[in-house]
Amino acid sequence: MRAAVAVLVLLMAACTASTPEPVRLTVLASSELADLGPVLADLKRDTGVELAMEYKGTIEASGQAGGYDLTWLSTNRFLELRGGEPPLSATTMLSPVVLGVKPGKQLGERPTWADIADRAALGELRFGMADPRVSGGGLAALIGVATAAAGTGSALRTEDVSCDRIQGFLAGRAFDSPDVTGEFVRRQSEVDAIVAHESEVLALNASGKLSQPLEVVYPRDGIVLSDYPLTLIRPDKRAAYDRVVGWVRSPGAQRSIMERTWRRPVDPALQRAEKLALPMGNALYFPDSQEVIDRLLAFYDRAGTGRQVVFVLDYSTSMRGERVSRLREAFAALNGFDRFHVGETVTIVRFAGRVLEERSVTVSGRGDLDALLAVVASDDLQDHTAIWSAVDHALRLVRGEATVVLMTDGENNAGLTANEFFRVGRGEVPVYPIRFGEADPADLDRLAQASGGRLVDATAKSLLEAVREIRGCR
Amino acid sequence: MDEPEFRVVDPVLRFLRLFLPTTALAVAGIVTLLVAGHLTGPFQQITVVRAMLASKREFFQDEQVERILMAKGLQVHVTPVGSFDLAAKEDLDSYDFVFPSGQAANEQVKKRRTGKHAVPYRPFFSPVVLATYRNYADALVRAGVAERQAGGDLYYDLSVGELIGLIDQRKLWSDFGLDNGNRIIAQTPDPCRTYSGAVYVGFVAFASESDTPRTEDAAAELARRIKPYFDVEGQHLEDMAPKYFSPEGRTFAPVAVIYEHQFIAYQTGQARPDRDRVLLYPKAQHQSAPELISFGAAGDRIGDLLMHDAALRKRAVELGFHLLGAGGGPEEDFAAFVSGRGLSVPRTGFGDMVAYLPDGPLFDLMRKEVGGCR
Repeated sequence: MRAAVAVLVLLMAACTASTPEPVRLTVLASSELADLGPVLADLKRDTGVELAMEYKGTIEASGQAGGYDLTWLSTNRFLELRGGEPPLSATTMLSPVVLGVKPGKQLGERPTWADIADRAALGELRFGMADPRVSGGGLAALIGVATAAAGTGSALRTEDVSCDRIQGFLAGRAFDSPDVTGEFVRRQSEVDAIVAHESEVLALNASGKLSQPLEVVYPRDGIVLSDYPLTLIRPDKRAAYDRVVGWVRSPGAQRSIMERTWRRPVDPALQRAEKLALPMGNALYFPDSQEVIDRLLAFYDRAGTGRQVVFVLDYSTSMRGERVSRLREAFAALNGFDRFHVGETVTIVRFAGRVLEERSVTVSGRGDLDALLAVVASDDLQDHTAIWSAVDHALRLVRGEATVVLMTDGENNAGLTANEFFRVGRGEVPVYPIRFGEADPADLDRLAQASGGRLVDATAKSLLEAVREIRGCR
Repeated sequence: MDEPEFRVVDPVLRFLRLFLPTTALAVAGIVTLLVAGHLTGPFQQITVVRAMLASKREFFQDEQVERILMAKGLQVHVTPVGSFDLAAKEDLDSYDFVFPSGQAANEQVKKRRTGKHAVPYRPFFSPVVLATYRNYADALVRAGVAERQAGGDLYYDLSVGELIGLIDQRKLWSDFGLDNGNRIIAQTPDPCRTYSGAVYVGFVAFASESDTPRTEDAAAELARRIKPYFDVEGQHLEDMAPKYFSPEGRTFAPVAVIYEHQFIAYQTGQARPDRDRVLLYPKAQHQSAPELISFGAAGDRIGDLLMHDAALRKRAVELGFHLLGAGGGPEEDFAAFVSGRGLSVPRTGFGDMVAYLPDGPLFDLMRKEVGGCR
């Protein structure tokens, strides 16, 4: 009889085994995952595991994972850059960082980040983004834009961030709130776009809070993809972690995540909803160094501080003909990441044997750029070349943070000599000489070295390439 | 007058008296089923076998493999870890077996288990390949670095040396007609952690330098020379294969280093072959030979089954592996299965690169230098 009872108890235990033991796990999660509420309720019902979520920006959270049972961040890339090696993690869902833009902004068919930066620099596209010092989406966007701006086709390296080419893009930034979608809802009448996850843009469109839905733009030069790894921090929670991962990656949960939160499933077999079936284009290669990120954030912090760039242009008679027309073309062709941008002060000093003309403009829109082009279009070329006097003049015009770009094709034969010029201390303003024609490389290199700038040789490449190379350097 | 008699009835006994006949019948039925092997129930003793695996976990997470093992009272509890991470884990000894994905990682585990139970089983092998998409493969053909295999429409031969030439010249995919401004590379999992990532370091090293380095200095010099080809990608992705097979795969990596078995398992699992996903076979190949290394009786049992159980070995072929050990020739099994599923059979490469790789410690030094491993 005792044996029979034992069998029976076993049988009954087997019948009730489908109600698992309740467990509560603490989870540090990316802020945007607050939309998982209903999914987590289903998880608890089906597996008995309750996830006690604490929400923080991914960047902020990447330094604070200790003390939680699990993390559920948009990516572990930032954790790994800080030297963290998560013992166990599983990708759960996908969402690319995109531009959500009001219809009618006419960015063109499949625009690039450069096209977006171009319009932002002109004050024609105002966007909101999440603060990259806190939010993974915000930092992913910044890395994406900087990688596209470097234009190397490879992962961003420290040296690529030395010249800061994203200031034009950042000139279009209307806000960098931690709650990018909420802030956009409040300011939708004055702001044109947001940089955010595809899921956030689609959820916003479906929320009924917008007067017109945003179009999702996957920039052609590349996106950054979040893959939401569920990561085990405390090994003794392994059993419950396995239950959660198994459930989250099951077809039913994957479908529910897709339908409720607009994130793409990781299950390859699951049919994507119509709006999630669009190709995302290419992902940019992702940097492998925390130093790159730190530099990028330093530039980000300094954005919009009213920089000045002074161009010192040689209008001596030797420039007549092809050389001066190449110079004009180079200025006219500055666009995309290299465009003069809103808030930037651009000064042009034309010189020959003396300073011929000086013009300063603080850019507020397209009209100001036309005024600058008019200065460069001048046909007033004169005899002699006073390089050092012109640079000396330019340095006296500088107010605050600035760079000086010198373009010359000849030998100094008027005004200050090089030795006279260098005898006086010149402060901290970097000078970037662009050499073409017969200009003496030794003196120009000395100028670059002494000021912390760099000599760019345009005898071997186009003047436009040379200008692009130093544009944004400081 | 008798007092009223109260009999205390044990509710369990009362329950049993009522239901015992039916219960007995049910129990008898279940026992019959268990003996016949059709059902696993609460009575069967299940041995949970703890294992650390890299990419070969896909084998143990296959539903059919789980079922075959469960019928024998075995359940493998999988901890997924990259092959080199696995070899370095502090709690290595607490597992019943581990299953690194290939030779160099196998050796590291065995070295750590010197003097302890460490029985190796080599049930199958699989070449390391580069998985891509049709338009990318065609672009590589246009670039003169790949050619389509005769008779095999899903397979191409790749000259890694010529591919490195393109990387060296900083060529972009857009230079060969694709809408992608990224530099041409193959994206690999982290060589610090994974075997396939390390093998790709081997591919590139072998293609860059025909003289196998024999000293630490020579190995370090060669590694420093090829490191820039890997730095293009920046941070490596983990788990390339599942990403490659997802509808968003092109976005993750248009050319990804994976194992052939992952591709074959995917293709044979489709209703009809996916002609958009294709493989590039390096001309000098590497056959990865994962090893189940058992640390005790439970691991030995799994290892023996992998070598001898007909159902498991049949399933291994269906999951794209080439069999090693007892039974028919491995190529026959593989080729027969693949062509039986309506796929052409890939032509294997001209040689085995492993012959040209430096010794274990030198190879380890190279992958760490290239990967910048901590």
